[in-house]
Amino acid sequence: MPSHLALLLASWITSPLMIVVVLSVVIGLLMIVLFGYTSDQKAIGVAKDQLKAHLLAVRLYRDQLHVVMGSYGKVLRGTGRYLKLAFKPLLYVIIPITLMIVWLDRSLGLTAIQTNTPFLLTVHVNNLQALDTVSIDLPPEITASAPPVHIAADNEVVWRLVASHEGAYDVKIGASGQSAAKTVRVSPELAQVSPERWRGHFWERMFTSGESALPSDSAVESITVDYPERNIPLGIAGYEMNWIWLFFILSMIAGFIFKELLGIEV
Amino acid sequence: MSRLCSADTPVRVPGSSQKQRWSSAFAGVGARATWAILLAIVLCPVAAHAYAGPGAGFAVLSSFWAIFVAFLYSFYALATWPVRQLFRFFRRRNAYGKAVFDRAVILGFDGMDPELADRFMKEGRLPNLSKLRDRGTFAKLRTTFPAISPVAWSTFMTGVNPGKHNIYDFLACDRNHYLPFLSSAEIKGPTRQIKIGKYSIPFGKTEIKNMRKGTPFWHWLGKAGIFSSVIRVPVTFPPEKFQGVLLSGMCVPDLKGSQGTFCLCTTRAVGDKFREGGVRAPIERKNGSFHAYVPGPDNPLAETAGHEMRVDYEIKPDVAAQTARLTVGSEKFTIKVGEYSEWIPIEFKAGLGFNAHGICRFYLKEVSPEVEVYVTPVNIDPGHPDLPISHPVTYSVYLAKLFGAFATLGLAEDTWALNEHVLDDDAFLAQAYGNHEDREKMLFDALDKTRQGLCTCVFDTTDRIQHMFWRYLEEDHPAARDVPKAERREVIQDLYQRMDKLIGRVMEKIDDDTLLMVISDHGFKSFARCMNLNAWLHQNGYLALKEGKTESGDWFEDVDWSRTRAYTMGLNGLYLNLKGREKQGTVDPSEADALKEEIKQKLNGLVDPASGTVGITGVFLTSNVYRGPYSENAPDILVGYGAGYRASWDSVMGKVTEKIFEDNMKAWSGDHCIDPRLVPGVLFSSHKFIEEKPAIVDVAPTILKLFGLALPSHFDGKPWNLAPQAVGAVGVKTPAVSPAT
Repeated sequence: MPSHLALLLASWITSPLMIVVVLSVVIGLLMIVLFGYTSDQKAIGVAKDQLKAHLLAVRLYRDQLHVVMGSYGKVLRGTGRYLKLAFKPLLYVIIPITLMIVWLDRSLGLTAIQTNTPFLLTVHVNNLQALDTVSIDLPPEITASAPPVHIAADNEVVWRLVASHEGAYDVKIGASGQSAAKTVRVSPELAQVSPERWRGHFWERMFTSGESALPSDSAVESITVDYPERNIPLGIAGYEMNWIWLFFILSMIAGFIFKELLGIEV
Repeated sequence: MSRLCSADTPVRVPGSSQKQRWSSAFAGVGARATWAILLAIVLCPVAAHAYAGPGAGFAVLSSFWAIFVAFLYSFYALATWPVRQLFRFFRRRNAYGKAVFDRAVILGFDGMDPELADRFMKEGRLPNLSKLRDRGTFAKLRTTFPAISPVAWSTFMTGVNPGKHNIYDFLACDRNHYLPFLSSAEIKGPTRQIKIGKYSIPFGKTEIKNMRKGTPFWHWLGKAGIFSSVIRVPVTFPPEKFQGVLLSGMCVPDLKGSQGTFCLCTTRAVGDKFREGGVRAPIERKNGSFHAYVPGPDNPLAETAGHEMRVDYEIKPDVAAQTARLTVGSEKFTIKVGEYSEWIPIEFKAGLGFNAHGICRFYLKEVSPEVEVYVTPVNIDPGHPDLPISHPVTYSVYLAKLFGAFATLGLAEDTWALNEHVLDDDAFLAQAYGNHEDREKMLFDALDKTRQGLCTCVFDTTDRIQHMFWRYLEEDHPAARDVPKAERREVIQDLYQRMDKLIGRVMEKIDDDTLLMVISDHGFKSFARCMNLNAWLHQNGYLALKEGKTESGDWFEDVDWSRTRAYTMGLNGLYLNLKGREKQGTVDPSEADALKEEIKQKLNGLVDPASGTVGITGVFLTSNVYRGPYSENAPDILVGYGAGYRASWDSVMGKVTEKIFEDNMKAWSGDHCIDPRLVPGVLFSSHKFIEEKPAIVDVAPTILKLFGLALPSHFDGKPWNLAPQAVGAVGVKTPAVSPAT
């Protein structure tokens, strides 16, 4: 019985929901502290007070049209000033948090391929001639469940594949005499996946790929595995939610609580 | 040398220095790369990184929220404006249709003296007031009996004599106990309480009763659809509802409920108790730092009264730098010796989640060899008012958000701290002018917001500074004898010039459709000699002490009421110990008139034996001076002291001394609580009035008349007439109605 409980607890602790909750609280705290240290707290406080004052002016002088319109203008200007003040700490937090979100999104945002469940693999080449030369070399654990579909208009070939065993497999793609590989992750667990492998496309690679770039002289532009999106069950009336929304809401709540506790002006 | 903190020195937020280090570390080469990455991220958005943490999330959300709310408000205001205007038109017809001016601006300079103003104008020091004098009006403005601010300003706003507004002094007399109470407002806590454990929870509302009767003239304007902005006019606490905004002034209490109790925190051995207005708190040394507290109000949850709430704070002096770092709650700031902090929020915790919110400023007096910190009275926090100090309540919040925290206490300039040598001249002036600047900001905001209607603002600075620095105007004032002449500053001259500059800036903001009036409630004279009227009553057989006593304590301690026929408390009032009215009355009502007459005859023209000058130039029976339903609450006799004289500090507090006359050695060296005929106020106006003897009671009817309103029949004042050249002058409309009666 205790071992059952331990297993249950372990599975609960390692569940995507718990991971998102813990991450949201920790990141909420870290980001608030970082915001506090990197922002001009006094100026932000003043800017927020000014905004509130102009909002109150609209109410206090609602019969004075010039005040109402003037205050509305000041609210807009004040909002700009406030955003400008929030922009500087944004500089400090946006890079680490963006990289972290990208990294987490590969685990929490997508589900690895499940065994015996068909999935699509798309190869995009850079010219129509190369399209006719595209070939695929599958590991034994992965088989094609249908003939490839050539979409000439998009320079793409799409395969429908099925994996029979868990693991990380390289699918080799040949085109115009060259070959390139793409990892396919097959697992029922939480796993890091890379949905695309790119040739060039630095920013896309940074944000959506966990793999190195394809050779620059390759005819293959990109190889995409269609990992299904993961929705995290909330355990409330069967509701599910993408992790980023859950993270957004929870980290905001955590941030709000910590900002009050730490007296940080946001 | 005292001075206000520069904007960037005082309230430091945690980590601000670290913040600077970070900023400088990222400046230069790194910043360019950071900008590039950031731009790339912004320009190449992908769903997953549209969110950059809770801080930025809050910023974006609150910005949109602010815009959304402002849009809703503005839309509502715009959409309903025609309907409201139409409604107003039908209800009140055209509010400004009969008005001679679109706007009236009344600046109250409490205590501005016509003789000094005239002198400084002749010396060419007041160019803007001179302009008003030349183009419009400059006259002496008759004040009230007595010439005390709460009385005079109550008359100003109600247009009636004190017999109809019920304010005769700062203090009124409880005839049952021969004790004073605040004349302007009464604050009563909830009467019922529920006991839970060690707490006694008040149940019900705190009742704040306005003791001033009569209707301020801006209420009449509001009823006619004319908007008013009223700032810091005395005796407007608690604020009353009307069409406009109002910030209460003189008579607003501090958080302790007093009219201002400062605190001197000191490592010195406990000295004498302050006569009034302040307390001492010991500073204790613990582990290399110093600890003191800010005294607050009594705990409302305590079972018995007298459980003072306190907020502890820490002082870390740096003797070499002559600074100290103070930690008050979550606020940390460094101040130099001779420097004030900004307004610091203070929260007194009563328990069970009941808190009282206040603000105060800290002034570092000394860090070596002793440590001394002066703490201002804890003002009601205007951004979080626990008592209503404005109408609507959000008006004080609005001002606090717009300009930052400000003094809300009625008597915000701490004259007692200067009297008691807790503050020096410079520290007092820094405090007074700090408050003054805040009020100037409020005035100009009100001027900007009130383009039609009434805008009135009273500045106390003129009164407080003249009270405290008159000693330097005279060659041989007793309170300045120990100050070498070379060190006596021209404080009052500077004050008048500063007020003149303010007028100049106001004149730039107004046009010919605006009437500008500058008035004061009374003038000023020297206060070099004190007279203890209770001592005089004692020595002349009207007041008796218990057997063997030659002096009494405060508030008539040791007075034998069974043999007392008259007594005095407050600044000018003298009371008979009347049977049926006073608890231990001895004077039969049938003998009252004769007794009053007898005392009047004896007091009138009373000579100070030390100087041979007349100490009392007028004695007035209130039955001849006041008319109205509240006349019976007035003292029986008003004593008009001569120039240079005033009721002694002891006499005001119901103390009988052996000496009748003595020198006034306090910094509070000028006064106006004397014969009202000697201290008229000033009247300046941008347009000329024809009136030989204008009085402060005439202001309300004059304003109503200029806005084309009929005058209430109970008014005692008479409206002034504009000179023919003023009517029809640029911007001034010919009145559509004949002068109201």
